[in-house]
Amino acid sequence: MSATQSEYLRPKDLRAALEHKAATPDARFIAGGTDLLVHARRPGATLPQSLISLRAVAELNEVTVVGATLRIGAAAPLTEVARHPVIAERLPALVASIDVLGSRQIRNVATLGGNLCNASPAADTAPPLLVHDARVELQHVGGRREVPLVEFFRGPGETAIEANEVMTAVLLELPPPNAEAAFERKGRVRMDLAIAIVAGLFELDGSVVRRARVAAGAVAPLPLRLTEVEERLTGSELDDDVIAEARRLTTEAISPISDLRSSADYRRHLTGVFVERMLHGVAGSSVTGRPGA
Amino acid sequence: MKRTIKLRINGSEHELAVPANALLLDVLRNDLHLVGTKRGCDMGTCGCCNIIIDGRAVNSCLVLAFDVEGRDIQTIEGVTASADDDSIHPLQEAWAECGGSQCGFCAAGFIMTVHALLENEPQPNRAGIAEALGGNVCRCTGYKKILDAVELAAGRMAATT
Repeated sequence: MSATQSEYLRPKDLRAALEHKAATPDARFIAGGTDLLVHARRPGATLPQSLISLRAVAELNEVTVVGATLRIGAAAPLTEVARHPVIAERLPALVASIDVLGSRQIRNVATLGGNLCNASPAADTAPPLLVHDARVELQHVGGRREVPLVEFFRGPGETAIEANEVMTAVLLELPPPNAEAAFERKGRVRMDLAIAIVAGLFELDGSVVRRARVAAGAVAPLPLRLTEVEERLTGSELDDDVIAEARRLTTEAISPISDLRSSADYRRHLTGVFVERMLHGVAGSSVTGRPGA
Repeated sequence: MKRTIKLRINGSEHELAVPANALLLDVLRNDLHLVGTKRGCDMGTCGCCNIIIDGRAVNSCLVLAFDVEGRDIQTIEGVTASADDDSIHPLQEAWAECGGSQCGFCAAGFIMTVHALLENEPQPNRAGIAEALGGNVCRCTGYKKILDAVELAAGRMAATT
């Protein structure tokens, strides 16, 4: 194959996809294509000479549950992910993040792995997956490894994925039934990228927080866990003072930029409000016998 | 470098040679002359190029033709009241009655999105219709007439089934 000829492959199994990649190092993997095909048509850009489609690889399109471990094939379309009965029931924050990602026709083809590999700081599915301690499975022709999602993102558009690897799955442990998940997001209009995203997962004992996980997106160079906030909340009673402090720690932990969508100040304010709102919601729902509290 | 692919569109099989990197939108319009599908933003934002693949609305500007071999593809040309003739579909009828299109450029994309919606959810409420149409842009109507048309058609279609 000469360098000027384009080659597009559509393997039916992962082995063949990985072998194609090993034989053609310049080839790009394409799953839904909703980012790749848009970027390829920017002025001066072109489609990669060689593409390996993952759409026909059955094992990358499946969602499976083994014990408490959920495995989402990296090339599973977001619509299918959100509709999976276990995900629909047990992972409301992830479902909420998918429901606001792009349009219906985008979600019908865009994939969970693609949303993560594109590594936008504003990736909608990243904060909920971060609070679930998700890991990503990366494979190449000679092996596989798992990387915690929190270590996968390296910067805008940059990830831990090596040139010869492909993301094959997103893995996470299903949360205990009493865990409470939350998702907050704001974009200018329905279809636009988020200007701030917050996700949380909380386990409470009465009104005392036993375990807290909080993540934010679109307010730093990468989606991030807010560990200072989590540490402050753990072991604390969710009263107004603690919630106010969590809000303050949130605004200190993030590093938003100003761009055409929002000023940095507004992003910072909004993220604090989201954390406060989320914690008030969790505090309210955990108090029994005091309706409206 | 061209390659030969087989596409099933509106129930008919088409075998054609296209460049490896051909977009489905270009194949539909330029090779098969199915020009009811429109090119709007060319970046998956406006919904003018929406078609239905395996029952789901999809932006045809974001799909490579070689990647949909063997799938069931439907374009606006395949939207008719009955499979036997080319009579007007209730959605198209309602669009005309309600003034759902003015310049008409976006109408095919809207109708394909709604067609897929009603297959899965025959009686959506107005908020559900608006949500489903979040990725379709109309620069003429202000959307009210479009929502009216969908409600009218959905009501009629439910009454006749």
